[in-house]
Amino acid sequence: MSMETGDQQPPIEVRDLHKSFGAQTVLDGIGLEVRRGETLAVLGRSGTGKSVLLKLLIGLQAPDRGTIAIEGHDITASSLEELNEVRKKIGFLFQQAALYDSLNVEENVVFPMGRHSSMPVEKQRLRARQLLASVGMRQDLNKLPSEISGGMQKRVGLARALALDPEILLFDEPTAGLDPITAAEIADLIVGLKKQHRLTAIVVTHDIRGARTFADRIVLLNLGKIVAEGSFAELRKSKDKFVSQFLREGS
Amino acid sequence: MSLPLVALAGAATGVVLSLETRDGMVRFGAKSLLPAIIVFSIIKESGPVITGLVVSGRAGAGIGAELGSMKVTEQIDAMEASAVDPYRYLAVTRVLACTLMLPLLTVAANFCGIFMGWVANTLWDPISLRLFLDSGFKEVAFSDYIPPILKTAVFGLIIGVVACFQGMRTKGGTEGVGRTATSSVVLASLFVILADVVLVRLILFIWPLS
Repeated sequence: MSMETGDQQPPIEVRDLHKSFGAQTVLDGIGLEVRRGETLAVLGRSGTGKSVLLKLLIGLQAPDRGTIAIEGHDITASSLEELNEVRKKIGFLFQQAALYDSLNVEENVVFPMGRHSSMPVEKQRLRARQLLASVGMRQDLNKLPSEISGGMQKRVGLARALALDPEILLFDEPTAGLDPITAAEIADLIVGLKKQHRLTAIVVTHDIRGARTFADRIVLLNLGKIVAEGSFAELRKSKDKFVSQFLREGS
Repeated sequence: MSLPLVALAGAATGVVLSLETRDGMVRFGAKSLLPAIIVFSIIKESGPVITGLVVSGRAGAGIGAELGSMKVTEQIDAMEASAVDPYRYLAVTRVLACTLMLPLLTVAANFCGIFMGWVANTLWDPISLRLFLDSGFKEVAFSDYIPPILKTAVFGLIIGVVACFQGMRTKGGTEGVGRTATSSVVLASLFVILADVVLVRLILFIWPLS
């Protein structure tokens, strides 16, 4: 199903999204729009469905109700072929990087290109090395994911997410589990990529400091609903008890 | 990795068959039938089933645990997110490999079983390998040899499908991977045994006993 496209069309448009697992309601009527070139940070406590939201956006899970339009295509009503065409426009950075553990660093980045690009193998490898260099990975390209640190795995995951030159990037906790210096480096990297590629991005995170660095807009989730939305400065002015407590404790 | 295990299991079967059957055959005065009994028993049933069960344990657990850990570490989600069908990329190749390799492994198990059957036999009662094979294979027809080997392609298909299916639906971290490895082996072995019964009946229907 295709709707009107163009520059006015928001790349990501979510309406009335519901998702439950058994009796537990995880998302309860979420609606949001992300404008082209904008980075939206989704904050919230653990278990509030932030990661589920990202998985719904890329079709790894199906919503119980609601629509998700990516570049004007409603992925909730798409066939697998149509969904895969949409997925090629989206890069996804997983919480634990989810690198293929039988492939080395370079092969991990080449993998999506090998499956979808008509580029000759040598050019794919060259592009993979360029992408890895752009995220600060110039060495250890022949190492397996288990032989590199968590921060390096995130960098490789980021390079892999960029492999198909996506228009949209989804980040699931990009700075979680990293030391503060590496976390700040990853946050700076996101800012750099955003400027360089004019990417539209959704970043799910607990890291309020990181969100301040890279996000143009923040939404705060609680109990499956959006409880606040706006810039960091706007959210700080909020009188809502949960919002002010969340920002105070996290800063 | 399955080959040494299958070869050893086949060899042990050959030795045991030779030792256990010899006594009975001597008592009934049918010692000269011993080579034929060993050959028939191995190529028609022991070789295929032992190979099926050994590979269920070896490859079933391996494939189940490998895909299971890919599932719990989100590598399979990452593949889907890159618009790559994990069933086509990961499962089809493994199922095909199992289906094609089982008949070859069965041939290896049969060879080791018959050879070691002769070795065990000749330790008691020296007989040349040529004479053992001549008398063992004298009555063997096409329908004795080929269908049981082809039957193992179905065992391979079962092992591959069960292990991939169990692996892809793994949940619950490392504990879940352990559960998948166990259930892959148990279910694959069970289905191999059940399929054996059905396939033997089918083979007898297509190639009736003379």
